[in-house]
Amino acid sequence: MSAPVAIVEARGVGKVYPMPAGPVEALRDVSLTVAPGEYVAISGPSGCGKSTLLHLLGCVDTPTAGSLLFEGHPVRAMGEEERSRIRLRRIGFVFQRFYLLPMLTAWENVELVQSEAGMPAAERRARTRELLEYVGLGERAGHRPSQLSGGEMQRVAIARALANRPGLLLADEPTGELDDETGEQIGDLFDRVNADGTALVIVTHNPALAARARRRLAMRSGRLAAPSVVAGS
Amino acid sequence: MSPLQFAWRSLSRQPARAVLGLTGVAVVGALLFDMLMLSRGLIVSFRDLLESTGFDVRVTATEALPGMGPSVSEAAATVEALRRLPELAAVVPVRFGVAAVEALGKKTEEVAIIGSETRRRGEWRLVQGADLAEDSGAGRPDMVVNRTFARDQGLGPGSIVRLASTLTPREFRVSGIVEFPFEASGERMAGVTLNGFTRAFPAARRDEADLLLVASPPGMGTETAVSAIRRARPDLHAFSIDEVLERLRQAEFSYFRQVSFVLATIASFFALLLVTTLLTVSVNQRLGEVAALRALGFSRRRITLDLLAESALLVGGGGIVAVPLGLLLAHGLDSILRQMPDLPSRLHFFVFEPRALAIHLAFLVLAALVAAAYPVILAARLPIAATLRKESIS
Ligand SMILES: Nc1ncnc2c1ncn2[C@@H]1O[C@H](COP(=O)(O)OP(=O)(O)O)[C@@H](O)[C@H]1O
Ligand SMILES: [Mg+2]
Repeated sequence: MSAPVAIVEARGVGKVYPMPAGPVEALRDVSLTVAPGEYVAISGPSGCGKSTLLHLLGCVDTPTAGSLLFEGHPVRAMGEEERSRIRLRRIGFVFQRFYLLPMLTAWENVELVQSEAGMPAAERRARTRELLEYVGLGERAGHRPSQLSGGEMQRVAIARALANRPGLLLADEPTGELDDETGEQIGDLFDRVNADGTALVIVTHNPALAARARRRLAMRSGRLAAPSVVAGS
Repeated sequence: MSPLQFAWRSLSRQPARAVLGLTGVAVVGALLFDMLMLSRGLIVSFRDLLESTGFDVRVTATEALPGMGPSVSEAAATVEALRRLPELAAVVPVRFGVAAVEALGKKTEEVAIIGSETRRRGEWRLVQGADLAEDSGAGRPDMVVNRTFARDQGLGPGSIVRLASTLTPREFRVSGIVEFPFEASGERMAGVTLNGFTRAFPAARRDEADLLLVASPPGMGTETAVSAIRRARPDLHAFSIDEVLERLRQAEFSYFRQVSFVLATIASFFALLLVTTLLTVSVNQRLGEVAALRALGFSRRRITLDLLAESALLVGGGGIVAVPLGLLLAHGLDSILRQMPDLPSRLHFFVFEPRALAIHLAFLVLAALVAAAYPVILAARLPIAATLRKESIS
């Protein structure tokens, strides 16, 4: 029996930014495999390379060294278009600053990514209703981001990230703009998302949020601290 | 949600920006539309005037435009010779002169007199009374007068016009009131037969014509008529309406074309600058959102389409408002320019043509594309990871 294909696998990846004052080595020799349904938290001091790693895992950027496989396919061989398609259909992103579109309602924000993926209207409607209820905002569908609290906006953003049923949800400091109590609610929601089968990789400073992950990684100066802490195994 | 709906939302999110853009494009677009109408207005209007006479060829003695050079001698024989050409349907000799009439208080006023034949087509248009009758040689010859002349002198059908003269009295009987295509507002004009013309100007040389008006037979074509005249009478000069207009275009009217070209270019530049700036500023305000959409899998193509749609809404909306605005403005400017003295009152500087509208629309499409180019490049080339990183704290 062959092992299930990892969602994303980094093999000795590095990322160097050429800067006028000399190259910045943001990541060095990072290897990480995220299996379907996993729950990973990455923590570490500012500037240690967490966001850079997350962007590589999310096919937003490409490594300057090593290799990266997304669902078994080498990312390096993909063009910008193909990576864009993978991001749309297979990956969900949650940002510290939510980045909901301010002129659209919660409903429209969640629906937009589905229509971009070409989902039929009837299916979109059903999925959007289901998702808004899932994140507890069924009643707020017609509200714009400016009419929502920070925690509510992040819940809409999570609904949006899940809209096309991705196998992997990536979050960069998802509670960075929220108070502890609201952060707890977001943490509960992530737990539920993971329990429902979506793999999660969360970059966070928030120890309470990191503690929820089954696998907690520490980063320092562009390297993953070994060995990884694996909870419950 | 289509790019157009999406763009509509972006615009309505910042109504001030949308209004600024629409207003700017509308005003500049109106100017541009006016310049398009001005660049050909005189030519089109002049063509209308020339065509309204019913004659499509003008024959003169020299290359000078009709009315500006020496007259055709041996007019009667020339007219006869031309009338024998099967390529011509009508040949009418015309003479121009200026006479004086006595006005109130012993002053005299000038009146332009056109001598022509009774078998005319459109040298003038009858508005009241009767047209000229052929001159019997006895009594007072007939005269048709324009409204200005009639008003100034209190003339109506049956009135007597006495041309000021120290010699024998030169009297005419008004048969009707007419409108001349080329009359300027306030200009007194009268039409008489060729015999009447000789009576009005006894000192003028006989048997001359300042201009021969020629009509080609229907279906035969102006060019055929012109070449027939050139073949038969190489000593004369025949102009089609197109050739008259071409001469005017190169000389007298080129000024308007140049002015309108320069103004249109400047106007377009500012319209483009305005829309580009508005779109660029808005893209710069939304860099985070754009990067997030890209991270979520929105393609470059989609982001480009959204911006193009926004540009199209601004430029298209403004451009549509620009048309009635431009027509209104052109109307005002036209009435100012037409106050210049000695211009035919039926001549217009700004003339609406479907062609102007088509160019205007084509320009709008181009402008929407060009205006969106820089913001599109900015958004499509946005480095996703770096932008997201810049926009967050950690
Ligand atoms: N686009 C970039 N250009 C230059 N340097 C960058 C860029 N992105 C990240 N870096 C550098 O890479 C390192 C890691 O950054 P980042 O991944 O954002 O860290 P973290 O998310 O852990 O705070 C930092 O030193 C940062 O300055
Ligand atoms: Mg970061």
